[in-house]
Amino acid sequence: MSEKQLGNGQQLILSEELYLKISKLVEKLTTSTGAEYIVFCEVNGYPVTHFGDIKEVDLPTISSLAAGNFSATAQMASMLGENDSFKYLFHEGEEQNLYISNVGFNFLLIVVFRVEVALGMVRIYTKKAIASLGEILENANQEEKESKEFLDLEFKTLLSEELSRSLKL
Amino acid sequence: MFINHALQEINLKIVYYGPGLSGKTSNLEFIYKHLDPKIRSELITLNTKEERTLYFDFMQLELGQIQGKKPKFNLYTVPGQVYYRFSRKVILKGVDGVVFVADSQKSRMGENLDSLLDLEKNLIETGCTLQDFPWVIQYNKRDLPEIETIEKLQSRLNFFGAPFYKGVATKGHEVLSTLQGVIEQVIQKIVI
Ligand SMILES: Nc1nc2c(ncn2[C@@H]2O[C@H](COP(=O)(O)OP(=O)(O)OP(=O)(O)O)[C@@H](O)[C@H]2O)c(=O)[nH]1
Ligand SMILES: [Mg+2]
Repeated sequence: MSEKQLGNGQQLILSEELYLKISKLVEKLTTSTGAEYIVFCEVNGYPVTHFGDIKEVDLPTISSLAAGNFSATAQMASMLGENDSFKYLFHEGEEQNLYISNVGFNFLLIVVFRVEVALGMVRIYTKKAIASLGEILENANQEEKESKEFLDLEFKTLLSEELSRSLKL
Repeated sequence: MFINHALQEINLKIVYYGPGLSGKTSNLEFIYKHLDPKIRSELITLNTKEERTLYFDFMQLELGQIQGKKPKFNLYTVPGQVYYRFSRKVILKGVDGVVFVADSQKSRMGENLDSLLDLEKNLIETGCTLQDFPWVIQYNKRDLPEIETIEKLQSRLNFFGAPFYKGVATKGHEVLSTLQGVIEQVIQKIVI
């Protein structure tokens, strides 16, 4: 997988090897910052991997809201004539803080930490982690498998049946 | 589309598009109420004070395993009001399939067309076009009195022959078949 921005209808495939490397880094970052939890998600809001104290049910909603927030801000940045989006978003709460940063073009890192944890420290560790994640994504070998190998006609038939069942049509 | 090989997950994005008040949010609300909570997330709605969509609605649908793979569908609505065109652009990013929810009322033909052209324009900016993109049309509000005939709607709006549905979103008519229809269009495009 190469690090380039994807357009509509294009596919991004994350290999198992990459997933494991990223998961390890996310775990390490959570422990070293003492964050409540960290979510690594795709830029359209699909959760990829996470660590720490987050409920499974909150993953898709947190990720989609963070993605919506980030892309709205990116749009503002471009209106202001910034070449890149803002480097990160930071929201300060009474008990918890939220830090969102992009990782390359295609991913986001969401860090939730308690107010007792110093923002400066979170930023330093996170910045380092983002650099490492960026390197991992950049150097990933280009064995880009076609999604057709992943999904075939039989899958389509089975999916239709499953849909009819789940939607109770 | 995003595939996570390690977890065998396939993530797809489906966007409900259409003019203001056509019933996009009502579609998602019905899906949310009707589905088993085990296979859907919470419904997120970012509304104005007047209950109009301000940024987007969101809900995830997660089907059971198929050939060991886990398909997940992220459903979004856009705000239909003309004023929010930049938000629509942002929501369309990374879209894999579209449900165009048209308002069947005679008085809304112009708004339907404008919204469809707005959709086409936004898609073209991302390198796609409706002609070869997975999408379906739902002619909604079929329960109201002053509505256009399906033939007229078809000839004015459905210029690429997309699958179409006759909906009453508030009562759930054709809401689920519309959803199934768009998902099948999306998968069709991928496997062929
Ligand atoms: N009679 C009737 N009313 C409907 C139907 N679908 C939606 N409505 C009503 O139309 C109004 C607008 O519906 P929404 O679902 O909020 O419309 P929307 O497309 O999300 O509107 P925006 O968020 O502004 O773009 C609500 O009052 C709904 O109850 C329908 O099929 N029949
Ligand atoms: Mg709405």
